Amino acid sequence: MFEVFKKELKELLRDRKTLIFVVALPVAIFPLLFAIMAFISSQAALEAEQEVHTYAIINGQYAQEFTDKVFYHKSFSQYKGEETFNSVEDLTNAVKAGTIDMGIYLPSDAKQTLDNAKQSEWQVVYNDAKAINFLFDRVKELAKEYGDKLRTTKLLSFGVSEQQQAAIIEPIKVVKVDTADKRENLGEKIGGFIPYLLIPLVLMGATYPAIDLGAGEKERGTLETLLLTPITRTQLVLGKFITLLASSIATTTITVLSMGIWVSVAIAFVDLAVVKTAFSSLTVFDLGLIFILLVPIAAIFSSLALAISIYARTFKEAQNYMAPLSIGVIFPIMIALMPNVELTSKTAFIPVTNVALAIKEIIKGTVDYTLVGLIFLATVIVAGALLAFCVKWFNKEDVLFR
Amino acid sequence: MIEVAGLKKKFKLTKDHKKNNTDKIDPREDKQFFHSVRDVSFHCDKGEVLGLLGPNGAGKTTTLRMISTALKPDEGSITISGHDIVKKPLIGRKSIGFLSGSTGLYGRLTVKENVEYFARLHGMNKKLIASRCDELFTLLDMHSFIDKRAENLSTGMKQKANIARAVIHQPDVVILDEPTTGLDIMTTQTVINFIKGLKEQGTPVIFSTHHLDEVALLCDRVAVINQGLSCFDGTLDEFKQTGQSDVLNQAFMNILTESRDV
Repeated sequence: MFEVFKKELKELLRDRKTLIFVVALPVAIFPLLFAIMAFISSQAALEAEQEVHTYAIINGQYAQEFTDKVFYHKSFSQYKGEETFNSVEDLTNAVKAGTIDMGIYLPSDAKQTLDNAKQSEWQVVYNDAKAINFLFDRVKELAKEYGDKLRTTKLLSFGVSEQQQAAIIEPIKVVKVDTADKRENLGEKIGGFIPYLLIPLVLMGATYPAIDLGAGEKERGTLETLLLTPITRTQLVLGKFITLLASSIATTTITVLSMGIWVSVAIAFVDLAVVKTAFSSLTVFDLGLIFILLVPIAAIFSSLALAISIYARTFKEAQNYMAPLSIGVIFPIMIALMPNVELTSKTAFIPVTNVALAIKEIIKGTVDYTLVGLIFLATVIVAGALLAFCVKWFNKEDVLFR
Repeated sequence: MIEVAGLKKKFKLTKDHKKNNTDKIDPREDKQFFHSVRDVSFHCDKGEVLGLLGPNGAGKTTTLRMISTALKPDEGSITISGHDIVKKPLIGRKSIGFLSGSTGLYGRLTVKENVEYFARLHGMNKKLIASRCDELFTLLDMHSFIDKRAENLSTGMKQKANIARAVIHQPDVVILDEPTTGLDIMTTQTVINFIKGLKEQGTPVIFSTHHLDEVALLCDRVAVINQGLSCFDGTLDEFKQTGQSDVLNQAFMNILTESRDV
């Protein structure tokens, strides 16, 4: 068994493709991709934030203070062209034609309506299809400022003080006293996404080498010679299984370490106090616990991937079979992301979901160690059963010689 | 030394095969199974080379796979030096060296690493591996490429490496499944010389081939299989006599024709 493991490991380490998947991807490519994605999205947000939009306003003179606010806002520039706009339809056509980015329509009786303490309806014409769009919110904010001022002035003229106004507008003020510390709060929000990233990596660390160890052996014609050596099929499967387990754990470890380093670097350069607090409260024990929970998961994936791979006739066929496995793994992780799905004595028995929930609880700092023990036991049992199935699979002639 | 008696092996038909094969012409097929080997018997003594002949699909490879313990027979027995290897396949695997034309090597390992790996799987110790490797590498003139990765070898080099891999554990019996198929003249000669060497050492060799010139050159005995049944088992001279001349092709065709008539 150890000989098979040593040989498989040696071959894997000499395979550039495997090294790319197991080492290069987690060390450099993933952080690089995340960095590029973060950079692009932040740039897009920044551009949207800094973009100056051309606008036109109809009947602006009936709310001069609001019109001035829009005029002097850094994000807006009044249309200075020759076209004139008299209706919402004119504004809509101009936005569609790209003449202006936004049109504001105030009814001609706006002033009269407001003076009579009635509600006036204003329309903002713009294209809301852009993913990042601040237009409407900015106009709404300016209108609210203007409206608040009008209301305060009006109510003061009726003899209602500002304190009384606050009590009338918001009779009951509910104040939040949060017992969750920063870690628990942040853990609840991002804790679910950590297993979403980690568990597929564990799978990836097992599937790629598995294809080579099973279907690859068949395709190269080395499987038959291997079956004719005086080692038992159990030893053979265990040798291959341990190789996949090692590869899977290596991918996970490298990824976690790499992410840790990159997050530290990012925190050092950018002042992300919240993230810093959350990550610094994770202890080595917590990280160890996450790692321990991922080992039986890696064993489950290794057994499954090996069984699938040995069933396939060719490398390509094995790749086709692995795709549904990847989707199948995402599904139980998504269950863990669902609201109100929590780690209980029942969910502790759902493979993959249980580990995803436990990782979330560990990051939150609210994990029940009894349940962690239960999860570990349940996952080990599933992994053992799958490994036994894999050995049985390796003993079937119609699987080996399809 | 090796005795094969009454071997039988059937394979379950796949749904696709049943659908696509409506015109049933093969007598080995029934509703559920394909009876690849129906009754095969032969023997090969120490120092003998047995040529296993038969048309494509006759059941030669299945028979050799059963002898090599890769497949388990449904019925029949295979004994090597008195050991029933159907019941004790691990003993069989220690006693057999197997080589086929399609046998592969681990491309990312060097030739030496490939051969040593199989030696270790056969439980050989370091000292024995070193001496045996040196012996085989010299015998097969391999020293110039033993440190090259298998993926970078020529077909001839690969076959030499495969030979060394197959016999590193000094097997009691060597089985060769069409070992010269697809090889050039030089590499074919290497394989032929290797079989001759084994014969001189007294190792029984069973090899399947379509090349009757190789049979004439190497074999002491001949066994012919047709449609999963043994239809000849005898010496090379007896085989020649069935053709009423020394032309082996004629003898082979006569045996096949007679077996079909039966």
